[in-house]
Amino acid sequence: MPYQSPRRPGSNNLVELVRRHHAEGAPTALQVLKDAMERRGEITDDDRRVAAERSRMPEAAVHGVSTFYDDLLAPRGERHVRVCTGTACFAATGGAHVDRLGDGLGLQLGERRADRSVSLAETVCLGFCHSAPAVRDGDTIDAGPGVVDRVLADQARPALEPQWRSVLGEPVLIRPGDWSGLTRALRELTPEALLDDVKAANVRGRGGAGFPAGSKWELARKAAGEQKFIVANGDEGDPGSYIDKYLMERNPALLLEGMALAGYAVGADHGFVLCRSEYPLSKPALEAAVERAHADGLLGVDILGSGFSFDITIVEGAGSYVVGEETALLACLQGLRGTVSARPPYPAQHGVHGLPTVVNNVETLCNIPFVALRGAEAYQALSPGATAGSKLVCFNERFQRPGIHEVRFGTTTRALCEDLGGGLIDGRSIKAVQIGGPLGGILPASQLDTPFDFDELAAVGCMVGHGGIVAFDDETNMRDVARHLLRFGAHESCGKCFPCRIGLRRAHEMFAAEARVDRERLEALLETLELGSLCAHGGGMPAPIRSLLTHFTDELELA
Amino acid sequence: MPDRFDTDVTTTCGYCGVGCRLEAHARDGRIVSISPALDGPANRGHTCLKGRFAHQFTRSRERLTAPLIREGGGFRPATWEEAITRIASEFGRIKAQHGPDAIAGLASSRATNEDCYAMQRLMRAAIGTNNIDNCSRVCHSPTSFAMRRAFGLSGATGGFSDIDFADAAIVIGANATEGHPVAGARIKQAALRGMKLVTVDPRRIELADYGALHLSPRPGTNAAVMLGLANVIARDGFVDGDYLAERTEGFEAVEELIALYPPDVVEGISGIPARDLEAAAHIYAEADDASLVWGLGVTEHRYGSEVVQLICNLALMTGKVGRPGSALLPLRGQNNVQGSSDMGALPDTYTQYRSVADEEVARAFEVRWGVPLSRENGLKIPEMFDAAVGGELKAMYIFGEDVAQTDPDTKHVVHALKSLEFLVCQDIFETETTKYADVILPASSFLEKTGTFTNAERRIQLVRPAIEPPGAARTDFDIITTLSRALGHDMGFETPEDAMREIADLTPHFAGVTYERIGRRGLQWPVAQDGTDSPILYGERFHLPGGRGRFAALPYKEPGDAADEEFPLILVTGRRLQHYNAGTMTRRTANLQLLDSDWLEIHPDDARRLGVADGAPVKVRSRVGHIQIEARLTERIEPGHVFTAFHFPEIRTNLLVGASADVNTSCPEYKVIAVAVQPVADRAGVPTLTAAAG
Amino acid sequence: MTRITIDGRDLEVEPGTTVLDAVRALGGSVPTLCFDERQAPFGACRVCLVGADGAPGPIPACTTPCRDGMVIDTHDETARRVATAVVELVLSELPEPPAEHTELAAVARALDVGEPRWPGAQHDGDHDERHPYLAFQHELCISCGRCVRACEEVQGAFALTATGRGFTANVAAGLDAGFLDSACVSCGACADTCPTDAITELSLLTPVHPRPA
Repeated sequence: MPYQSPRRPGSNNLVELVRRHHAEGAPTALQVLKDAMERRGEITDDDRRVAAERSRMPEAAVHGVSTFYDDLLAPRGERHVRVCTGTACFAATGGAHVDRLGDGLGLQLGERRADRSVSLAETVCLGFCHSAPAVRDGDTIDAGPGVVDRVLADQARPALEPQWRSVLGEPVLIRPGDWSGLTRALRELTPEALLDDVKAANVRGRGGAGFPAGSKWELARKAAGEQKFIVANGDEGDPGSYIDKYLMERNPALLLEGMALAGYAVGADHGFVLCRSEYPLSKPALEAAVERAHADGLLGVDILGSGFSFDITIVEGAGSYVVGEETALLACLQGLRGTVSARPPYPAQHGVHGLPTVVNNVETLCNIPFVALRGAEAYQALSPGATAGSKLVCFNERFQRPGIHEVRFGTTTRALCEDLGGGLIDGRSIKAVQIGGPLGGILPASQLDTPFDFDELAAVGCMVGHGGIVAFDDETNMRDVARHLLRFGAHESCGKCFPCRIGLRRAHEMFAAEARVDRERLEALLETLELGSLCAHGGGMPAPIRSLLTHFTDELELA
Repeated sequence: MPDRFDTDVTTTCGYCGVGCRLEAHARDGRIVSISPALDGPANRGHTCLKGRFAHQFTRSRERLTAPLIREGGGFRPATWEEAITRIASEFGRIKAQHGPDAIAGLASSRATNEDCYAMQRLMRAAIGTNNIDNCSRVCHSPTSFAMRRAFGLSGATGGFSDIDFADAAIVIGANATEGHPVAGARIKQAALRGMKLVTVDPRRIELADYGALHLSPRPGTNAAVMLGLANVIARDGFVDGDYLAERTEGFEAVEELIALYPPDVVEGISGIPARDLEAAAHIYAEADDASLVWGLGVTEHRYGSEVVQLICNLALMTGKVGRPGSALLPLRGQNNVQGSSDMGALPDTYTQYRSVADEEVARAFEVRWGVPLSRENGLKIPEMFDAAVGGELKAMYIFGEDVAQTDPDTKHVVHALKSLEFLVCQDIFETETTKYADVILPASSFLEKTGTFTNAERRIQLVRPAIEPPGAARTDFDIITTLSRALGHDMGFETPEDAMREIADLTPHFAGVTYERIGRRGLQWPVAQDGTDSPILYGERFHLPGGRGRFAALPYKEPGDAADEEFPLILVTGRRLQHYNAGTMTRRTANLQLLDSDWLEIHPDDARRLGVADGAPVKVRSRVGHIQIEARLTERIEPGHVFTAFHFPEIRTNLLVGASADVNTSCPEYKVIAVAVQPVADRAGVPTLTAAAG
Repeated sequence: MTRITIDGRDLEVEPGTTVLDAVRALGGSVPTLCFDERQAPFGACRVCLVGADGAPGPIPACTTPCRDGMVIDTHDETARRVATAVVELVLSELPEPPAEHTELAAVARALDVGEPRWPGAQHDGDHDERHPYLAFQHELCISCGRCVRACEEVQGAFALTATGRGFTANVAAGLDAGFLDSACVSCGACADTCPTDAITELSLLTPVHPRPA
């Protein structure tokens, strides 16, 4: 007789409650709490009780949500100023803009004046990395040189949006979505054939891990469930990256089309986009696109007379980096605490409302219409000899030509930085670049010839990530970089797994102290984080620190 | 590592019938903590606030610590010798003057199997009467009666683990999350995991919030609801024809009968919308495996035993019995409701429900006990009180039950107790009943004794002492066997385990029961000679002559009491989480800090009409009595109904309960009482709490 | 059928069996902190790490299902080293060493955890002792989630929640006004499962774990 585990309860009870109450039209607790914050600038126990009543969730669960998300924690005054502490802003000023703004307003981060007139909070990141540093004053996001002075003078103005270009003759990702892929698929492809095309195209996830999208789809398609969902992960939290932001805001139709195609292939009839509250324009842009698609008969019931029905709901997060991790993202989408869950079960079997769910990054889904329209071979041909398809990369404000570029995989990082980015401004030189967000390794100038692709970057301790490229110039203090990254890491730890919850705090404490850092103890801590953590947050934070240990040993003041 | 505790003893909880296994931790002779046993089969490492925390009563200053003998207007402490001699001589005198049937005994569903067995042996062999009953009379006797009729044996067909395997369940008249919290939690978890749960209760109980469907029948109309469910099951083709043919008998009459109860007719009787009734029937019938769970909301009615038979019909029609997930689970109120009756503490049966008139059985006991035994049925509890008032019954020996508090028609009970020439009470505290005693014997709580309890899933589990009884208090087993010796009948038991050996010898279903085999996991009877037990009954045949399950064609009849112009509301009584029955134990613990009063639940519409404000005092009148109590408004109860618990003797809720009782078993109709509610000017009439002594 | 080898011994298990269950079925042991057999595996504490052939690093035994042909080493040096470091981190966040009877103390003894190499911030003392039976000592909370899960998955009262984020994560009843003002049904499942006495029985606090006056 094989050994059989004891029957244990599921860990699914809050999700089950959400499912039941959603079916009866209740909003999520997070939605109600966000509304209360917008209206009144703070969350009180009365707000929590109302949220519990309206969402029909337990009071304790609502309380837990209300203490998790940044947006629900910092009190807001009549004028709420949010200063970006992302990596691009750090690279621009070394953090000086934060201190100057706080001093000017007479407020610490997270404080509100007693008369409730002004409040100051930290935000990571506003996605204006091309024009750092960035400050959001009320609904206006201002960025670039002079921003602090303008905000202090109460003269904030909207910052310029970045350029986007493609090196491809025929852009894949920055062409406006025209629903041609869906139209063709519904007319000419069975769901199975579409799934086969996506698998054959080997579309790798653009959110970080590079997992093949087709495999996720196949798992979800095979999973049993009365309903299935497609979730677009628009929680592009990586400081220094603003690619998904502009896909959602400038090209929302392409994303919606990709989601509908995923729904067609998987057998899902509903999709969700989770976008970030740090990108206040994303949700309205997406909602307007959904509305247009409805009007054009491209979303809704029986699309183009095909019998296929698909609809999309846009949900906005509330300030949490880890919510970019797919299980945490699903928790946030359902209005719960955005903590990571161990896998299995995978979202493909057990996602939104406990039902099979595909979670793909925004850019990943934006690749699908091309595959549906032109087929796997054409997609493979976009980056010959490298990872299939094309990739958007973006540069921070240190570059001569910051902005978003669609490039082929396999191009050297140097070519990207110098030919597209144009090198650095003010005659500065690149000391190092961090690629793919705070969990990516840091590439010293000496290794810029590394090809930009999944495996090649991994070989030097780096990653593609979201494709954000943040350059640190020759004046940057690399111990400050370590401190900056670890502060971010500790602040954003969801608090679930022990290594990350305590370890990142300790790592930050080591660098925040004046004292030298004991290298042996640091390395032991990094190993604990890397091998022990539940998700890529704790597991990935050691990567840039290790890069610094390798390449900038002397600057770290080690003992 | 320093030990926090002197002793750690694994035992079985003495509160409700779930039968949680507990680890009792003691220091300096006191219980300091109780934790759930991880391997407890019924509780699987969980317990409720009663089992876990409500142990302070064991060290209450109010514990009886010496025998008390009535003297003048009060009681004086006495030695055991004097008390036992006094009882023996009084029982002897009465038996000589009026015959053995002038004496009656009550065993307790709180006590162990061995205590109850010894008690019935004392009454039968030492006194010579079958006047022995136990308090399951007032709770689950209808269940026992009905399940014996339908299936053959008096007990759940499966166990609590069936809840884990069921695709659907109907919970009828059981507020499990308060009355049986650990079972309730298990049902709730199953519902959250996807088991389709239907709740049937006049109140919207907590489980209803987690279920697929809630049905709120008018109190007393359960029979119509069950007939209506059967109607839909038959109408929509869910009857399992093969099962019917191979395993059952008597469906024809049921088929004709249920045709008279289509959903619209049942809606008229019960108030349950026809479409809800249809949906509930489909949930049950369409499930691969579905269980039926019920509590006192089914049994404590005039036709409670008939409703249980109608519940059994549903399982027989659909073949949903005798396999994992398809079980019939009565939630037993007290820890040993099952066992006290299994042990023959009933006026008409020996162990295993074998009739006292059965010559072969009676002879076996006569041979073992060495005395001639009566073949005449004895008196049931209500009959005992009638006989006391009528003068035929002269003496009672009441053990572990507060009849003056918990039994219906309190005035009549008190009259009966006052009419007795001699009353012996054996308890751990003075109670309403002990006020009328001539001798009070100080006994032991479940944490102070050895023996076995049998839980609601027929599981016999060990009870082990974690502490000593206080002062001169003794274990019930010790007291009963000592008194028996004094009465001239030495049972020959040194320990409760000796009693279990005799039970096993004389009871086929206990043939293989030994303490060693019971161990940590318990044994679910019937237990074969080789120790094999029976988690699931009736997988292949029913325990009836011919082996077939029996349908019962019983029409709906109106309850014993009904609302009318003078008494327009129907009162339903029930339990609250924090307390247990009359509160004798829980009110002597800090549970009182968590809940310190009873109140009357009334729907806001009724309250508005009657001018009753939330929190205001009201007077509740029934045909037999009246009480004053605080009213609280809630939409969990339907208009036309009111609800209260019965944990606070000061309120004396049972003053309202009349003589109406189950037609087959005399179980009182606690659940349907026509009342009138009116506001009163001030709170003076609402009883305040007597301070609970620590 | 799934065949797995643990420390050189073979075992056949039903699909879906976790590595931890398989280890225990063979009579072996792996230390755990956030695991409670009454609850679904959680995977937070990372103390149950074991070595698995072919895996890039240690794997958590509690949440990893057995795969056919898997070879598990419960004594894997790297896994033990990381697990020990994790417990060391946990001890460093408590203002005082865990009481000896607690599960945390037992795990620390089993792993022979020494003086914390990474001292730093600790949790603030905050007590709730208004409930007649249950007491909170928030500074002892290690955010293992066992109490919250006991409340959700075993009792179903939903009275407890994790609070905060990152290092400041903790636990609260209801709206953090204590057990009495929450949906708590006083079943005590939280105190029963707590590995540190962050939630404990009030009656056990005084004699065993004296608090400063």
